[in-house]
Formats: sequence, structure tokens, C-alpha cells
Amino acid sequence: MLPLFVALALAAVLARSKLAAFLLSSVLLAAETAVSAYLLYANADLLLFNAFQISGFSMLFALLFSFMLLLVNLLVYKYSKDYAEHLLMLGFVLAGAVMVPAATSMLMLFICLELIAVPTAFMMLLAGEHHIEATVKFFIMSAVAIAVFSFALALIFPYSAQMGISALSANPNIGGNALIVLALILFVAALGFGAELFPFNLWVPDVYEGAHSYVTAMLAGVNKTVAFVALLEIIFIVFAAYKATFSSIALLLSVATMFFGNLVALAQKSIKRLLAYSSISQAGYLLIGFVVASPFGIEASIFQLIAHSFMIIGAFAIVLWLESRGLRTLDDYGGLNSRNRFAAASLTLLLLSMAGIPPLMGFVGKFLLFSSAVDSGMLILAALGILNSFISVFYYARVISAMYSTTEHSHLKTEPFVAAVVVVTLAVILVFGIYPQPLIAVAQLASKALLGA
Amino acid sequence: MLPFISAMLAFSAVALMLTLVLSKKHSRGIAVTAAFLMLLTTIAMLYISVLAGHVGFTESYAYISSLMITFGFNVGAVSLILLLMSSAVLLVASLSGNPERSRPKTSCLLIELFQISAIGLFSSANLFMFFIFWSIGVVSMFLMINVLGSSNRMRASINFLIYELFAGALILFGIMLIYFHTPLRSFDIQYIISNASSINPTTQALIFLALFVGFMIGMPIFPMHLWLPDAHAEASTQGSMLLSGIFTQFSAFGMLLLFTMLPVSSKYAAYVAALATVSAVYSALVLLRQSDIKRIVAYSSMAGMGIILLGCSASSISTSGALFAIFSQGLTAALLFLAAGSIKHIFGEHDIRLLKGAVVDAGPTVYAFLAGALALVGFPLTTGFVGYLLIFLEAVHAFGAYGAVALLAPLLVGAYLYFTISSSMLSSKGHSDSVGLIGSTQYLGYALLLLSIFLFGILPYILLGLLKT
Repeated sequence: MLPLFVALALAAVLARSKLAAFLLSSVLLAAETAVSAYLLYANADLLLFNAFQISGFSMLFALLFSFMLLLVNLLVYKYSKDYAEHLLMLGFVLAGAVMVPAATSMLMLFICLELIAVPTAFMMLLAGEHHIEATVKFFIMSAVAIAVFSFALALIFPYSAQMGISALSANPNIGGNALIVLALILFVAALGFGAELFPFNLWVPDVYEGAHSYVTAMLAGVNKTVAFVALLEIIFIVFAAYKATFSSIALLLSVATMFFGNLVALAQKSIKRLLAYSSISQAGYLLIGFVVASPFGIEASIFQLIAHSFMIIGAFAIVLWLESRGLRTLDDYGGLNSRNRFAAASLTLLLLSMAGIPPLMGFVGKFLLFSSAVDSGMLILAALGILNSFISVFYYARVISAMYSTTEHSHLKTEPFVAAVVVVTLAVILVFGIYPQPLIAVAQLASKALLGA
Repeated sequence: MLPFISAMLAFSAVALMLTLVLSKKHSRGIAVTAAFLMLLTTIAMLYISVLAGHVGFTESYAYISSLMITFGFNVGAVSLILLLMSSAVLLVASLSGNPERSRPKTSCLLIELFQISAIGLFSSANLFMFFIFWSIGVVSMFLMINVLGSSNRMRASINFLIYELFAGALILFGIMLIYFHTPLRSFDIQYIISNASSINPTTQALIFLALFVGFMIGMPIFPMHLWLPDAHAEASTQGSMLLSGIFTQFSAFGMLLLFTMLPVSSKYAAYVAALATVSAVYSALVLLRQSDIKRIVAYSSMAGMGIILLGCSASSISTSGALFAIFSQGLTAALLFLAAGSIKHIFGEHDIRLLKGAVVDAGPTVYAFLAGALALVGFPLTTGFVGYLLIFLEAVHAFGAYGAVALLAPLLVGAYLYFTISSSMLSSKGHSDSVGLIGSTQYLGYALLLLSIFLFGILPYILLGLLKT
């Protein structure tokens, strides 16, 4: 796989024309997707260069990230000004994202997270001068997160000179130690920035709104998932001894994040902010699997992570396209159905999926999450989750009903690149919504690989 | 055994796709064909069951195997009767529910989507399928009101969605509790019926509460009915027909299931019966202040739903009464809304006081409305009579004289409808001008519904015999 990253970066630098670079990078990303799909299918389990663990878990996410970036690449190609520079950054993000689930040491994890954060900030800036405010906010927040992460690393260093993830997990010094609990909390805080957990998520709406929408799509679809993946590895491998402690922290974070996201989203006028808060509330649901901390809960979280990535990328692809035609607020979306049926219908499906309406993928994910909570006897948590999904319907329904309310006559032309991304995401949420079993089986495999490692 | 249910679902889905890709000229034809095929399939199933002497169509496919959830269907006598009712209503709705021919493509798409939900819900073998198809029903109904409704549709549809999704959240919570508390962890309805007694009583009470309130909102029962008048008044004719004819019956069916499934429910039967009586009488009283023709129908059908709930609560033998009343209510409410919609279309007027002498210009429509009103209040020879008779017999048997208090509701509704209709539509003191015309398909629609209402009203043992087997 590594040669593929290099090839991607080289392609970015060397390709003469924009089109050639786009085609080449798409082929490479597709190859990357195919390789990880093959390794996942073959259920490979091997250690590469003593640094990367190829397993069901890492390959599932490698597959997801390379496929997501393939979609983002389409959007970037269509809407960015300096495509070659963007492609280089995308290459870095891909390298970081694919290595996070495969990392075998904390230092590797640390480097990968930086490898994602810095190019993302660059991409934001490359999109134009007026994105500078969002860029600075994002950059500062990432810098703080990384500082906190390294401080947490420093706290466990005295107890274990080895930074390998599984070595740490096996280290007897790690269990039952107040300083280690502090390190755990700091790790959660550091990754909480990326994972959009309350109260570390106050930057999210501003940055989502301020950044160019293709970057936002990547932030919500890839960067956030990466943070969750890192959290999965750190919590369930390194701090396996602290499951109960983490569970109570995660319970607070989960409930607070759900309510914060959903309640604030009710008051939003701008579509991007609304989706940002909706993405925050999804982070709250995702954390339910962490609270439950059973293999079933982890499996549910993995399933919902995948579902969320597809839903949010599809939604932001539509937002990106409409934004380029000057549609930004809820009022602008009025009568969208009469201007472009495809946009209205697909956004409706995506929003319904986020709201957790069957038979779409978002429902299956939420159902698994809430079931895992009931399964472990956390009735109240499941009830709060269901209540939140009910609250969320209010703002999704507002968008949907706005799109169908009035009739406008200026027609909007469908954008093929956006349509391609949207069709792919819709296909995924419909197929795995109606027949989720294959993906659930894969999520099970991944959660086994994670916990067994 | 042929896979009837999958076949029905499959051709409804094909119809949906075809409507989506073909031009709007063809939409209505496709929708009518799909509903007609559904009716034929149901009749074929009925015929096979009558010949075989028992009803039993089961299908099961792997769905989420790790949680032991199957994509399963189980059509017993109850499901078959409800499928028959819903296919008739769907056929009439797609055939004649849209006299204005406004937005044919969108309306046909939504009807086909709703058809999928009705087929799946009434034949679902497990509660997971029930919930999935219920939610599809909610979404298609929401869009039907939101996209095709009249001027005040925004508020009405959002109201509807909020109430129904709240109900959905409660139902989801309830079925998840059932799932995790049955010994083998199962959503399968038959399994739950035979094993629910092993769930501890406190949990059962919680499950009962969640599901009861959920279905109560959907039926609707006082005090959770506030979405109903607006939703009915603002929906298109087709929307109201499907809403009152089928969608509210989803929840009534859920109530029936709930009372059959949970042993603890018999403990609350008296309270439920009291609530049902209050709801029926309350809606009959509110009806006295209505003049909008669609609201009149809405409140009178809500009174009917109260009586159906009374039937559900009055012990297990009353299943036949409640079921028959659901069957009858679905057909009559659909007929009434169809006639009300046509009257609105012909005279451009929805205040019943201003529809003086409507019978002169729109004879068949007014007579269809009248016949529907009679069936709704339980006039002999109609299905309504059989349903109410069975329910009240059982209610009196279960609760003594208190069981008959709810009889006040059909009496009030009947009296009010009699006086209003005779002083407006049948009166000779004035004359409304007609502004629109209706086609012969409208008459076909009335005929089909009236035929089923009278056929099964005169020969109820066709359906009751199925239940005995």
C-alpha cells in the first residue's frame, strides 16, 4: 500500500494537466480501496514492518477512508482552484487516515493525527483568502488538541518506556493509577476535539461554515471518523483496564453531546451550521457504543461510523453544489424540489437517514447502538438516545418541508460530479439500510480484530 | 406455498420504480394496476384459505442474522382481513381519489410507497418489520400531506410528523424492551405471544405503557388526537382516505397485537376501556361544533376509533369485534373522505351549511356520503353494525353496564350527521352551484367501497369464519 501513497503524491506533483492528475489519482485511490477490500475479504492478519497491523479492523477503515477520499477527490477536482496542491494534501490525509487504524504504537498514532490535521488546515487555506478565519480557528484547535495529546503521552511515559499499543495494554503498571486516569481523560479531551464531543466541539459550526464545503465534507466524513478510530484503539486496547472509568466519562459526554447538538440545531438558519450541529449529535450517538463497551456496542459504533461518513459526505456534496449557486440558508432551500428534483429527493433521503428513519442505513446504526445499550441494561441511555433522535426530526423535517413547500421557476442544472458522489452515497445507505447483514458481519469482524489484538 | 407477500411487495416496488422513470401520463395507470394486483393477490389468498380451511402464509428470509431478526411475514386470518381492507382502499384511492388530477406523478409515487408499507405492516411476522413498515408509512403520509395538501399544510404536516415520530420512538423503545426480555431474544410475534408471561410484571408494565401511548397517538385516542383534525382537513382527498382508512388502522392493529401479546394488559383493561369511552364520547361532542365537511368526517371516524379501542380492551374473545370494526372503519372512513373530497371538488365549498341542495347536482356522491355515514354509525346490513354489535356484546360481557356507555358516541354522531345532512345537502331550501365535474371513475370508487361494506355487512360470516379456523 505504501507505494500507492507515494505514487499519489508524485502524481500530484508531476502530472502535467489537471485532468491527468485527477484521473491518475482516482485510479490510485480506487486501487487503494480495492487492495484494502481484498485484504479485508481475505481476513489478513499480519504485521507490516513492525509498524502496521493489517487486520479486519484496520482494513475496514482503510477501505472506508480511501473510498471517502475518492469521493472527496471528485468534489475537490470540480470545485477547487489549485487542484495539484489540493491533491498533494489529500495524499497526506490519506496516508495519515489509513495508518491510524493500523498503527501499532502511540507515537505512530500521534504522527498520523498531525499528518491529517496540518494538510487539512492547508486545504482550507488553499480554497481562498476568505476562509482564513476558519483556517486559523481549526489550526489553533488542532494545535491545542495535539499538545494535550502529547501531554497525555508524557504522563504515561514514566510507567512504560515502550510506546507500542499492545505493549502498553499488557503493562501491569498501567492498571489502577490516578495519574494514568488523568492521562486517559486527556486523551479523551484531545481526541474529543476531532470527534466533536461536547464541550470540545465549540469550533465545529464556525469551521464547518467558514471552510469551503469540500473541506467540510472531508472534515465531517474523514477527520471525525479518524478521531473516533483513534479513540477506539486508545480506550479499548491501551486503557482496557479502565473500561468502567471511561464508561462513566463517556456516558456524560455522550448525553451532553447529543442534547447539545440536537437542541442547538433546532435554532439554526444556515444549512451548513444545521448539518454541523447534526454531525455533533451523531457523535453523541456514536459514543453510546463506547459507553456500553461490550463487543456488541463497539460493533454498533463501527457500523454507525461508516453510516455517518456516507450520509454526511452525501449531504455536504449537495450543500457544496447548491452553495456554488448561492443557496445557503433554509429560506434559500425553499422550493428546491421544483428547481431540481434530484437534489431535493436525495437530500430528503440523506436527512431521513440521519434522523434514523427505516429502512435507511442511519436507522440500522442507531438501532444497533440503542439495542447494545438495552442489552447491557442501560435503559435510560437508550431512552435518552431515542428521545434525541425524536428531537432531531424537528430540524430535519423543517429542511425537508421547506424544500417541498413553495414553487420556484428558475431551474438548477444537475452537476455530474456531485451527482456521482450523491448517487454512490445514496446507494450505500439504501443497500445497507435494506439489507445490513453483510456490513454488520464486517463490523463484527473488525470489533473482534480490535479487541483480540 | 407461493411467496404471495414478497410478490406483492415486489410489484409495488416495481410500480414505484416505473412511476419514477416513466412520464406522468402513465403514473395513474401504474398505481391503479399495482393496487388492483394487490387486491387480486389478496382475494387469491382468501380463496386458497377458504378452500384449505385455515389461513397460514409464512415467509422468512435472512435479515440481520447476528440479532436473529428475520425478514419474515406471517399472514393469519387477522392480517388477511386487514390486507383485504387496505387493498380495497388503496385501489379506490388511486382510481378515484384525485378528481382534480393534480400532480399525478407525486401522488402516485406516494401511494405506491404507502402500499408497500401497508402490505409489509399487516403481514409482518415480527415487531422489527412492523416498526420498519410503520415508519415508511409515517414518512409517506407526511409527504402526502406536506406536498399535496391544501393551504395550511405546512403546520398540519409537521404536527403530524411530530406526533407520529414520538409514537414511533415509544414503539421502538417498547419493542426493544420486549426483545431483550424474552428468553430467546426474539421479535417474532408468535414467539412473544407464547413467552411473554416470563417477562417480569414491572417490565411488562413499562412495555405496555410505551406501546400503548405509541399506538394511542397513532389511532388517535383523546388526549393525543390533536394532530388529527388538521392533518385530515389539510391533506388531499387521497391523503385523507389513506390516513383514516389505513394509517390509523396500523395503530389499531398494533393495539390488537399489544392486547394479545402481553398478559399484563388484561390488568389495565378497565382503565383502557374507560379512556376509550371518554375518547369516543369526547370526539362525538366536539363533532357537534364542526361545520367543515372534512373535519366532520375526521371527528366521526375518531369516535369510531374510540370504540375500536374499547373492543381491543374487552378481553381476547373480542378480537373478532375489534377486527371487524377496524375492517369496517377503514372502508367507511375512506368512502366518506372520498365523497367529501368529491363534494368539495364539485361545489368548491367545504362548509357543510352552505351546501344546500347538493343532492340535485351531485346525487350519487351525496348518497354515497349518506351511506358511508350510516355505515359509520353502525346501521344494520353494513359492516359497521356487525363490528359494533360484537364489540358492545363483549364490552357489556366484560364490564357490565359500563361497557355500553360508549354507545352514546355512535348515537350522538348519528343524530348530528342526520340533522346536518338533512338540513344542508338534502334540503330543498336552496341550491348550490356546481363548479367542477367528476368522472365515472368516481362512481366506480363509490361502488367498490359500498359493495364491500354491504357484502360483508350482510354476509359477515365469510370473514368471521376465517377467524374461527
